[in-house]
Amino acid sequence: MQPLPKLGVGLAYQAPLAPLLEAAGHALDYVEVVPDILWTDLGRRAEPRYIDDVAGRTALEQASRGRPLVAHGIGLSIGSAGVLDLGHVEQTERWRRRLGFAWHSDHLAFHLAEHGDRLMNVGITLPLPRDRESIDLLVPRIREVRRRVPVPFLLENNVYYFDIPDCDMDEASFLNTLCRESGCGLVLDLHNVYTNARNHGFDARALLAELELQHVGEIHVAGGMELDGFYLDAHSDTVPEAVWSLLEWTLPRCPNIGGVTFELFGSWFDTVGDERVTRDLRRLRAIWTQATRRAPRARKAVAEAA
Amino acid sequence: MTAQAFQAAMVRLIVEPDFRDAVRADGASALPGELTPLEASRLVAIAGDRGLDINRTLHKGFRLGKLRALLPLTCAALTTARLAREVALFWQTHPPASFSFLPEALEFCAFLEQRPLRSVYLAEVLAFERATLELERARLDESPPQSVRFRHDPVRLLGTLAAGRRPRGVRERPCLLLGSKCGDAPARWTLVDAVFR
Repeated sequence: MQPLPKLGVGLAYQAPLAPLLEAAGHALDYVEVVPDILWTDLGRRAEPRYIDDVAGRTALEQASRGRPLVAHGIGLSIGSAGVLDLGHVEQTERWRRRLGFAWHSDHLAFHLAEHGDRLMNVGITLPLPRDRESIDLLVPRIREVRRRVPVPFLLENNVYYFDIPDCDMDEASFLNTLCRESGCGLVLDLHNVYTNARNHGFDARALLAELELQHVGEIHVAGGMELDGFYLDAHSDTVPEAVWSLLEWTLPRCPNIGGVTFELFGSWFDTVGDERVTRDLRRLRAIWTQATRRAPRARKAVAEAA
Repeated sequence: MTAQAFQAAMVRLIVEPDFRDAVRADGASALPGELTPLEASRLVAIAGDRGLDINRTLHKGFRLGKLRALLPLTCAALTTARLAREVALFWQTHPPASFSFLPEALEFCAFLEQRPLRSVYLAEVLAFERATLELERARLDESPPQSVRFRHDPVRLLGTLAAGRRPRGVRERPCLLLGSKCGDAPARWTLVDAVFR
């Protein structure tokens, strides 16, 4: 993985969270933005394809108040078996040049699939088989993205509500292999790990223990909710205690970490309340400070393990 | 090629309940033929997984959310039951094509325009919101102006819907709303009274 700047504690930007960014002051070091909200994609056949949201950019720049920006995309669909959407990659690069993202990331998943002569966009991130075939599909694509967008590129471990049976690899082996072979980093979404472990009945800590944590460039934390017997990665609440515990264990073991990002959908901000969110951000700051102070020892341990 | 067929079938399991039910009932024989045995067995297992229904709920929520965000007045004018019926029919005939909200909302407008609309107000509300979206879509430089013909008082009609109430007995007021938009400024609407009767 290319080295990342050590930014600290970040918040995933949503317009309703702008007051929080304003009030946070030094409690927040950077702002993560879904770049796809800064444009409308009229489709691959449209000319011009993209309508840039200049007002949205202005709002983001005002809200971020000079803090560094990182991008966390939702539109790449890097796992689609058809073609890699290079138009989307170029659009990300255009916005990187405008906003100077310190790094950029997307999801290790697919949401685009062929449907007759059209593409269906299911709008949710779907899992890939953890097989050699998927690695072989992804590695050259990741290299292409890295070539076209010259800042570190990370992929996020996916949340999945059904698993694909009979895979060659477990999740940790799959992520380790992918990062090793492609040179991409990992956005380790601990809430996704927690959600998957809870829904599919495995030990989250055991998965983390198998991960090569030197690939982790960023960590995500969030909260969720129950629906129909499932726990959802809904970004609808503060961070559950179990995720804090995973963070406290994981963060000091990530020698190349650039930041920890708190995710909350703006539509839940009023329900959750400013006070509880601010409390979580303070707790994140304390864990970050403690972990990065202890980091040299942890780095040595990881190097020895590797 | 089979990986593409595998992903297409996985997406169909989420967006097409009839296809999901057929795979649940008939197993691999309901799947396209170009899949490997492993891919087919995986899809049969996924079809029977309760997590698939969660994905469908999330998928529908995302699609509906786009329409509610960009066509709030049209959704309100349709009322909940009618909206559910129209959206279900729209989804059956229009596979999801884009992450972006605007293309989906415009496609839904075009769909609704072809439907028999029994509401006395719906056509006017729909035309107004579609014109607003057209102004958005053209936001590259200066948008071509839009005009929307109203039979009922647009201020009262749109205001009532925006306030979350059902419009009843809105007085007739034949007029045009003329919309324009320059750069990133908000759309500007001008009411021109009694230009036609």
